Amino acid sequence: MRSRTGLVVLVMLALGAAACDSNTANRSSSPPTTQASGHPAEHQGAAPATTPKELAAELEQYFAQHTLIAVRQMRSVLTATPDYRKAADAELQEYTEELGQVVAAAYGDAQGDRFKQIWQRGITDFSSYADAVAANDASAKQQARAALLADADAYGSWLAEASNGRAKASDAATVMRTHVEQLMAQADAYAAHDYAKAYQVEREAYEHMFTAGTSLAKASLAPKAAAAIDAPAEKLRAAFAMLLGEHMQLVIDTQRATFAGAPEFKAAAAQVNANTTALTKGMGAIVGPKKATEFEDAWAEHVEGLLDYSTAVASNDEAAKTAARQEMRGYGARLALYLSDVVRNEVPLEPLTNALGEHDQHLVDQVNAYAEKRYGEAQETEIHGYEQMLGVANTLVAAIQKTVKPQLPVGGSQTGGGGTANRRR
Amino acid sequence: MTGAGRRLVAGAAALALLVGCSQAGARRAEPAPAATSQPPEPTVPGVDVARGFRSARGYRATPAPVRLEIPKIGVASSLIPLGRAADGTVEVPPWKVAGWYARGPRPGDPGSAVILGHVDSTGGPAVFFRLRELRRGDRIEVRRADGSRVRFVVQRTAQYDKRRFPTDEVYYPTLTPALRLVTCGGEFDYTSGHYRSNIIVFARLGT
Repeated sequence: MRSRTGLVVLVMLALGAAACDSNTANRSSSPPTTQASGHPAEHQGAAPATTPKELAAELEQYFAQHTLIAVRQMRSVLTATPDYRKAADAELQEYTEELGQVVAAAYGDAQGDRFKQIWQRGITDFSSYADAVAANDASAKQQARAALLADADAYGSWLAEASNGRAKASDAATVMRTHVEQLMAQADAYAAHDYAKAYQVEREAYEHMFTAGTSLAKASLAPKAAAAIDAPAEKLRAAFAMLLGEHMQLVIDTQRATFAGAPEFKAAAAQVNANTTALTKGMGAIVGPKKATEFEDAWAEHVEGLLDYSTAVASNDEAAKTAARQEMRGYGARLALYLSDVVRNEVPLEPLTNALGEHDQHLVDQVNAYAEKRYGEAQETEIHGYEQMLGVANTLVAAIQKTVKPQLPVGGSQTGGGGTANRRR
Repeated sequence: MTGAGRRLVAGAAALALLVGCSQAGARRAEPAPAATSQPPEPTVPGVDVARGFRSARGYRATPAPVRLEIPKIGVASSLIPLGRAADGTVEVPPWKVAGWYARGPRPGDPGSAVILGHVDSTGGPAVFFRLRELRRGDRIEVRRADGSRVRFVVQRTAQYDKRRFPTDEVYYPTLTPALRLVTCGGEFDYTSGHYRSNIIVFARLGT
């Protein structure tokens, strides 16, 4: 089982700084492999979440990542890429198993089993929907659509019961119906070659399910414990984790879209840029406009370096690959310097540089594997990379919070002279 | 220059020496040093367009807010920028106008923009005298220096004892655009010459 949380990676990031150098230097173009299978090494199971915040982080990660695996699985059906579909199917199964365990830890074993059944049914029905779209079979499509909406309603009923009424069935069903509609809409758009819509809806679906993960965590908790998830600091963590994880996923989309053609590349790249703009505005809210501009420059180089590399891979241009890797190291160092400065060295420069280098390495490895049609490996690397990115996000936000908190204004304002006090009483 | 600023400049200079690589914004102007002068023919269809990819740049600060209008309570005030007072609180504006906390987010940007105004002066009502009347759904409009407008919708109005002012709810960074209006309220303490509470209006971005 892979690690269930970026929080584990977060700790590793802080503790494993020294080891990172050698890991990065020794890493081949593939992720680490197990001796027996030759497949990318899988993480060992993480300890169950012990705090509301950890639970929220786990469920956000699982729901968001599940959405993207499902999207990619559906597209593999539409592009008739059976090898990719096989890898995605296997990943969805494994993910469902792990997600079921997280849900069982929060809601109890019996409810965890019920959840898994509903989830499994949904995966099957998404697959059926993609098959129907690919076959242009209106009747089968309608049937799959009805089944998916029923799955959404079943989820609503399940959550209302599992949470002892803390979540309303209709509210939870609405959340899941939106998810279902989004995944069907992106498949329809993709099949119609409306890639701009397909990638836009995919991004919306990712964000929707990230926050649905937060809601699922809250519904399992008594109101007092759930309040920890609503605290401003926790909301900030979740918001940044969502955007930074999204960055990772959209870069993967765009790297892979290079192999699919210009229209699809443009559509995926537009979403990467939308994410960069959102991240820059978010940084602006914390560090101010001047430093937000610096962030945007450093981030733009980071993104361009990653896409230069995938372009070189797609071109079979070894010299360009080498040049791109050299660029990426420079850009990563600059970005780390910027971020370390923003958090006033709450996270030292070296581990931050190493963590960003590891992020780059995941994206390099996944596109190498994808180009060579080693889809299982590409996917496993994608998942490792997503976990690692969320870990970086959580570390960064924790450091930002330490930096920001002392700068906040203190207390209330003296905005009254008392001239109307009698009139007001 | 701050210590942090110096570190950034010094670090950037050191980095430039170490990696000898391109500079921000200029990297696409010249070919990468190790690349062949004539790239191989594209082997997959998206390569040509991928080579022309440019990341999003062009972030511009949102223009400063210059005017506040709240039709329901008859507020139409210019806005002045406010900094921090020596005691760590936000500076307060003069009686007749409202002010915005200029070290926080600007209205419409991610985060909670904060606008302060007096409920009264020593002699009579001031700009936020009727702020406590705002209720869920009421409209607030902020005009910016470039003439653009941003609208907010009230979510709730609450009174807090100043000793328990909800600093995090008002000032803590968030990525969701929001607005907080703050004035005084509750009992007036004639000994200190101040009200004992603050009235806070919480508003979200509206249409």
